[in-house]
Amino acid sequence: MSAAAEETKAEAGAPLLQADGVSIQFGGLKALTDFNLSVRQGDLQGLIGPNGAGKSTAFNVLTGVYQPTQGEVRVGGQRVNGWLPHQINHLGLARTFQNIRLFRALTALDNVKVACRAQGALHPEGVGLGAKMKGAFINYRDWWRALLLTPRFQQEERELTQQAEHLLEVMGLSHRRDEEARNLPYGEQRRLEIARALGTQPKVLLLDEPAAGMNTREKADLMVLIRKLRDDFKLGVLVIEHDMKLVMGICECITVLDHGETIARGAPAQVRSDRKVIEAYLGDSYLESHGGAA
Amino acid sequence: METPAIPAPEARSAVPASLRGLLPVLLALPVLALFQGLMSDAPFASYLLSVVGVNIILAVSLNIVNGMTGQFSIGHAGFMAVGAYISGVLSLNFKDVALSFLPVAVSDQVFFVVSLLVGGLAAALCGFLVGLPSLRLRGDYLAIVTLGFGEIIRVVVQNTDAFGRALGLSGIPQTSSPAMVYFFVFLTVLVARRITGSSHGRSLWAIREDEVAAEAMGVDTTGYKVRAFVISSFFAGIAGALFAHFVPIINPGSFTFVKSMEIVVMVVLGGLGSTTGAIVAATFLTLLPEGMRSLFTLLGAEGSLAQKVDQIRMPVYGLLLVALMLARPQGLFGTKEIWDVLPRWIPRKRRGLA
Repeated sequence: MSAAAEETKAEAGAPLLQADGVSIQFGGLKALTDFNLSVRQGDLQGLIGPNGAGKSTAFNVLTGVYQPTQGEVRVGGQRVNGWLPHQINHLGLARTFQNIRLFRALTALDNVKVACRAQGALHPEGVGLGAKMKGAFINYRDWWRALLLTPRFQQEERELTQQAEHLLEVMGLSHRRDEEARNLPYGEQRRLEIARALGTQPKVLLLDEPAAGMNTREKADLMVLIRKLRDDFKLGVLVIEHDMKLVMGICECITVLDHGETIARGAPAQVRSDRKVIEAYLGDSYLESHGGAA
Repeated sequence: METPAIPAPEARSAVPASLRGLLPVLLALPVLALFQGLMSDAPFASYLLSVVGVNIILAVSLNIVNGMTGQFSIGHAGFMAVGAYISGVLSLNFKDVALSFLPVAVSDQVFFVVSLLVGGLAAALCGFLVGLPSLRLRGDYLAIVTLGFGEIIRVVVQNTDAFGRALGLSGIPQTSSPAMVYFFVFLTVLVARRITGSSHGRSLWAIREDEVAAEAMGVDTTGYKVRAFVISSFFAGIAGALFAHFVPIINPGSFTFVKSMEIVVMVVLGGLGSTTGAIVAATFLTLLPEGMRSLFTLLGAEGSLAQKVDQIRMPVYGLLLVALMLARPQGLFGTKEIWDVLPRWIPRKRRGLA
């Protein structure tokens, strides 16, 4: 079933994010076993599973927070095993966090500006010595520009502000521009996190439970928003979500994890009727009350 | 302070963009010249103000690491010692050399500035070597390493003949002047403010707020931490070098752990992350013993207490810190600057950064 799903995606271009047989082990605990995934531009995939299934672990492996014990992760075709999270981010992979991790004392605008700035010419691609030297040079030149307040620096700063303001507008946060992130209401903090992630100009966006703690209306809005972002920013999106309705509503392909293993993958309808998924995710009682899967 | 107002990073002004970088320096120079003129007949005031200035440099530079970046360094006196001894030895060795094409006084100042910069760079190099391994890690490692570094420097100095061992280094030409000290105070504050207003500063704040998130948003956290630490060490070195050129003798006793803690107290008292807070706290804590001395003398304690001021200074600091932590855990100004907490009727700048 996964093969079929992957075939239909084959014409959408090379995968931007790919996990090949990724396993991760903490001591004796296998948090993730033989995890495969490929996200292309325009994809909107879901990653679901009961608590402790390894969803967030999968995110952490993909973004470089954890190193895979086995297998490899590729971002934009580049093998990134052993890379640091910020280096992986520069390849075009951005994420949000399950428990919001904004820069709380910074204003909404500055939150986005941090992400915008960390990108672009500042960090030439690659991890070789040449790229490192070049990066160091650019960085020091940049520090001097900031310290001397050169016209070039002032220009860059204005552009950054515009860029960040645009992202705030897209996420409907313009009215919060100068407010500290910690003073924003919960739903807006979630959206600010997405705005910040977009500031890094990602090709793939990983959303870790973006709808957690939102009410039904906010969730509906969020679904529309995620779709819109995917189209406007030409992203591939991978969503971790507990809310079945949200996942089933917007995702075209869903991967189901349980105890670190991939137990199903496919279109929402397909996954919904998968016996193993119902058993693991929805529980035995569901099977009983609904008379088993179709 | 003698420092003129520092332009807010995004303030729209009539000043052309190309001039804004240099303008504060141009404004500062005549003010400092005037200041020097006023100070020339008051040796004790000069000395005291120089000490205040050195402490301001130390506090403001430590604030870049402890305040803005949220790392905890407690060996600032070590970097100060590096700057003091390197530039001190340099000045001692070039004492009798003068540039023939310049008047002697000017030539002295040239040598002085060069030795200052060498002292600062030596401290910066130490900062780089100390910071690189310890800043890769998160948490308290930096505190442990800097604590060790400060002690190592002190012990090395105590056992090296070139540095005068425990006796200290005397005879360093007294080429420093309050104007020179305050020029570097001004420079340190300017650099700290400009970092705050730039994307580099925002990245440092991001690291302070949430290192994991900063890293995920593409901020090279280790790189930024090391750079902040190197800048901070550089200015600590400058402060030490200035110190060496206006006190009659420098010895290892001036750069102990107690000195490091004194600087940390200044930063915490002013509010971690507040540059103006560090300035106010450094000024206050440096003048406090003098104030106590005058007070005790006035109260007629006939020298007994007044002479012990230097010994009761530390307990007073401790009490002050405890009181402050109870009343205002975030420090005097928190992460804000002085113009953010001033009364409403004073026109304030629009806040760009927390």
